[in-house]
Amino acid sequence: MGTAVLLKNTEKRGGMEHWRRQETAAAYMFSLPTIILLLVFSLGPAAYAFFLSGVSWNLLNHMHWVGLSNYAAILHMPLFWTSVKNSVIFAAVVMPVQTVIAMIIAVIMNQNLPARPIYRLVFFFPSISSSAVTSLMFMWIFNKLGLLNGFLTMAGISGPNWIGNPRFALSAIMILNIWSTAGYFMVVFLAGLQAIPRTLYEAAAIDGASALQRFWNITVPLLRPSTFFIVVMGLIGTLQMFDQSFIISGGTGGPLNSTMTIALLIYQEIFSYGQVGYGAAATVFLFVLVLGLTILTNRWLGKPIEY
Amino acid sequence: MVGSNSTLSRVSRGLYLLILTAGALVMVIPFLWSLSTSLKPLGEALVFPPKWLPHPFLWKNYFLTWKTVPMGQWFINSTIVAVAVVIGNLILDSMAGYALARIRFRGRSLVFFGIISMLMIPFQSIMLPVYIILRALGLINSYAGIILPQIVSAMGVFLMRQAFLNVPQEVEESAIIDGASRWRIFAQISLPMVQPSLLTLALMMFMGAWNNFLLPLLVANNQNFWTLPLGMVMFQQQYYTNWPYLMAAAVMATIPIAVLFLLFQRWFIQGISTTGLK
Repeated sequence: MGTAVLLKNTEKRGGMEHWRRQETAAAYMFSLPTIILLLVFSLGPAAYAFFLSGVSWNLLNHMHWVGLSNYAAILHMPLFWTSVKNSVIFAAVVMPVQTVIAMIIAVIMNQNLPARPIYRLVFFFPSISSSAVTSLMFMWIFNKLGLLNGFLTMAGISGPNWIGNPRFALSAIMILNIWSTAGYFMVVFLAGLQAIPRTLYEAAAIDGASALQRFWNITVPLLRPSTFFIVVMGLIGTLQMFDQSFIISGGTGGPLNSTMTIALLIYQEIFSYGQVGYGAAATVFLFVLVLGLTILTNRWLGKPIEY
Repeated sequence: MVGSNSTLSRVSRGLYLLILTAGALVMVIPFLWSLSTSLKPLGEALVFPPKWLPHPFLWKNYFLTWKTVPMGQWFINSTIVAVAVVIGNLILDSMAGYALARIRFRGRSLVFFGIISMLMIPFQSIMLPVYIILRALGLINSYAGIILPQIVSAMGVFLMRQAFLNVPQEVEESAIIDGASRWRIFAQISLPMVQPSLLTLALMMFMGAWNNFLLPLLVANNQNFWTLPLGMVMFQQQYYTNWPYLMAAAVMATIPIAVLFLLFQRWFIQGISTTGLK
């Protein structure tokens, strides 16, 4: 802000202090509703979860303080570890696969190819469809008599009942998630690709670098800010996966807990078992897991680019 | 480009198009398959191996689905929630974004980093405390319970802050000299200049609210408040095997989003590019 403006204003209103106070008041009038709503429905709940993880409460009786015993209880619960295992495996498969697919498709789409807008539209569309719609669609595709097994039959393979079989149910949800989010991250990569100077590629081409070399030595390193964002978003999204598991397993996390995720366990602790404290302890565990992995990713990918 | 180089590039272009087309098919097939199923008689939908073309085309599946379950009510509920969420975010996010971008005030960086930190808190991880807070406020089974937690968004504030930062400072300075109030500067000068971002914000928020499954699941125990995603999933649990009806419902629920997307594709993508890069 130009000092000239402020000075003129000061003369007019008499006193810099007055102007400052007026500005601060205006700023809080503008942002107070947002601050309050975010405190009540976002930051506040996050803090509240820590408190609730120390109580025993089923929503109806009086809550009483039990200290850390909820943590001890969930750490001894086999179902908790099943949910952690499923969420971690899910993230460990889906996040890298969707990132790699999104990057490859974005790089290809960044070439001068015909019908680019149509391809972009088609790849992006699944990511704006609701999880309920896509989950129902894939339940039908993964049905014993569904489309996927129809294709497999043509190849001479007799397909399983994907979502009814504990060996395949989580994989089916992985496929669904990769399908529905890869296009979104492709758009993020496309925006990142626009920021890479064309001249770098031209210079490399003159030096005789092959297309693959240019990809590895220019595109991949210079896309790091986008990659960082996508890896963090992908980790958060996959570790907290809830909708697809809930819908496809009918809320049970079955068959045989094979699709039980941490978020679904939290839901069940409160709505099926009335164990608010256990659910809150699992919530805190999920925070710590996500935060820890985000910090690790930041160490690994978060450095600024050096040209 | 000369000789061998251009043959090579023609080959690789062909390969690229092949990969893109294969990928695009994988993306579209589930939608086409749902559409096809939604037009089949039940018996034909369950034929294995599956057939692509319905025979005959049973358009009345859509009508019958609409009659079997309260789709109309779900549509109304989804619309009420989504419209309220869009209006709330347009007003509140742009006000907060404006203050953070344009006004120097005590505590600004605290407010800004507080909001940024909330970008990292996705709803799934706070569903339990949010449910308990909504319950304490008496908002279970109400529209307000589904609307209020979505009515401001940290992402939206961030988007609008970026937009206001891009408005040239000089435009406001003369108004400040004339002694115009901050509210007037915001409403009459700055807001009209960020219209494209407002459109992006509206689309993002509409999509988020329209597609939200978890929040209505927590809040709407009473089916009068079910939104489309929640209603469809409950419908699936009740009519487990009637895939033509289920797919008809899925197609109908997707149509509003599809229409918005086709009309405003550019702004959808712009939203991701602006919020996704920072």
